[in-house]
Amino acid sequence: MATERSDPSRTDRLVERTESGLEDGRFPIEIINDEDVYQAELRRVFARAWVYLGHISEFEEPGDYARRYIGEDPFIVTRDENGEMHAFLDSCMHRGAQFCTAETGNTSHFRCPYHGWTYKNDGTLQGMPHMNEAYQDLDEEEIQLQEANLATYHGLIFGRIADEGPSLSDYLGDFTWYLDVLFNATEGGLTVVGEPHRWEADYDWKTAADNFSGDSYHVLTTHQASLETKELELGPWEELDDYLEAAYLSCTDSHCAAYYLSEDPETYMGYPEEIEDHIHEDLTPEQRDLFARSVFHFGTIFPNTSYIHGIQSGGWGGPWVCLRKWQPRGCGKTETISWWLVPEEFADDDSFLEDSHSGWNSLSPAGAFESDDLTVWEGISESSGALTHEILESEGNMQQGMGDMTDLTETVDDPVYGPAETTWQGSYFDERNSRMFYQAWCEMMSGAANPEGER
Amino acid sequence: MSTQHSRPAVDPETRHRAESFIYRETDLLDAFELEAWLELLADDFTISVPVRASRDPGSEQDEFSSRSYYLREGVERIRERVGRLQKEYAWSENPRSRVRHVTGNLRILDAEGDELTVSNNQHVFRSYGDKPDHDLLSAQRHTVLRETADGFRIADRTVYLDHTVLNTKNITLPLL
Repeated sequence: MATERSDPSRTDRLVERTESGLEDGRFPIEIINDEDVYQAELRRVFARAWVYLGHISEFEEPGDYARRYIGEDPFIVTRDENGEMHAFLDSCMHRGAQFCTAETGNTSHFRCPYHGWTYKNDGTLQGMPHMNEAYQDLDEEEIQLQEANLATYHGLIFGRIADEGPSLSDYLGDFTWYLDVLFNATEGGLTVVGEPHRWEADYDWKTAADNFSGDSYHVLTTHQASLETKELELGPWEELDDYLEAAYLSCTDSHCAAYYLSEDPETYMGYPEEIEDHIHEDLTPEQRDLFARSVFHFGTIFPNTSYIHGIQSGGWGGPWVCLRKWQPRGCGKTETISWWLVPEEFADDDSFLEDSHSGWNSLSPAGAFESDDLTVWEGISESSGALTHEILESEGNMQQGMGDMTDLTETVDDPVYGPAETTWQGSYFDERNSRMFYQAWCEMMSGAANPEGER
Repeated sequence: MSTQHSRPAVDPETRHRAESFIYRETDLLDAFELEAWLELLADDFTISVPVRASRDPGSEQDEFSSRSYYLREGVERIRERVGRLQKEYAWSENPRSRVRHVTGNLRILDAEGDELTVSNNQHVFRSYGDKPDHDLLSAQRHTVLRETADGFRIADRTVYLDHTVLNTKNITLPLL
């Protein structure tokens, strides 16, 4: 994928500038849209991180498969005939041809359209035309599709191309505490409903991942038009005296969550009352309390997975869960994939599903909220690529919450906010989430963490 | 998405009125005259834009999802959306996109009681800001027109997109 411009040492200099800049809450704006940086991200971040591939409820039957991506590489996630999950590169080991044409489906075998080589859904070779005549001396065991490492957490399936690296649970670290609250809240767990929203636009994946890592501050400007509804019922948001005072930010060293809490301990994001009968017994009392008081959560699992679980402000619907993947599609281009999930207990409740779908819809490309974000993000991407930023070495600002910037945020220390460092009003006045996100980015992008250098 | 070519018994004048209505209504969308457009909606108006997924040939699953939609809303939220778009800080349409529907293959799919189902194909061109490029959304639209004392009102609309991955930053109401 190397391009004419590709210059790893230039990337290294930008990563170093980012690392030192972050100590003072600054970053080189040009890293948002830079071909060299992007090519390095594919190799250093996406090939080495745990990347979200799908939810286990999408693969209930043997043979179920979906076409998903790690970085820009096309993988096929399958459940084989023995029930094991796999992720194979969609590339035949004969001449590299692609053989998966549908987004999802069910099949026991994949047949390459070029010369007819056929693989079982566990990635091993089934055979090929004229096998007995043309391949008398072939080691059949040796021919199998390239496979990514897979691991799951509460039904979330992650894949990693590199063999070396931390286990998924080490990678998620303390953040699992927050994922438990959202993805293991009820006994039945979550289930994906229908097909995901998918749309491609001219923005950088980091812009989106940073935004979802805890930026409520932008809501005041970007989404003002959607908050000023006239006739819609606000649900649990009505109970909040002040949205800012209900907001919290919890950051681990790589992943970050923001949430709005009500004083009402029976809020449950506006779920039907029966939700209390289904709360998962594995939740600790603190996790249960957090969920009970919750109105809305959002967050980012580094690098490119984000989620929302809650009810939409402004009366636009919910509660719903969406899992999002910021799928890189080239420098300055990203496909948003947004899956809709609901607790299994409510998966057949039509009235619930209608409200939940509306919430999910509010963040579709046709949604009242999302449509405004994308206009802003495209502008970030275009102008971040400006040569002026490169020549003048411009630095952007993420200094909120540093030093004496504000008296409004406060570190809160209570087990109900989980093991991560948590600030009250942090998603409005503390940009720790952004600094943390780019620090995690620097760690993966820096030469130290990449001793073998560029492949 | 129906591609049947049955010919329901509709007199030429009704057909002509239905076509004229669709053309005029589409012009209102292109011109962002959304308050006037709202007047054309029935009180129980619904709109759906189903997600479309690529399937294997021979798959029994329909390409169009029966569960997930880019947009599925009733008249109450559509009114809120129109109000929203008129605010200067509705960034999705500030500045306004330049929108043009090109409408073709207009057919009456069904006529029952006081309702007609009209199908039309459309290419919707959109350009935005100080830029030379544009988005193009291709779709077939099925619209249920209801005869009232004040003329036709739109009771329901489904927009079947020709995209599995949308190539536009957003879909605001005038693009449907």
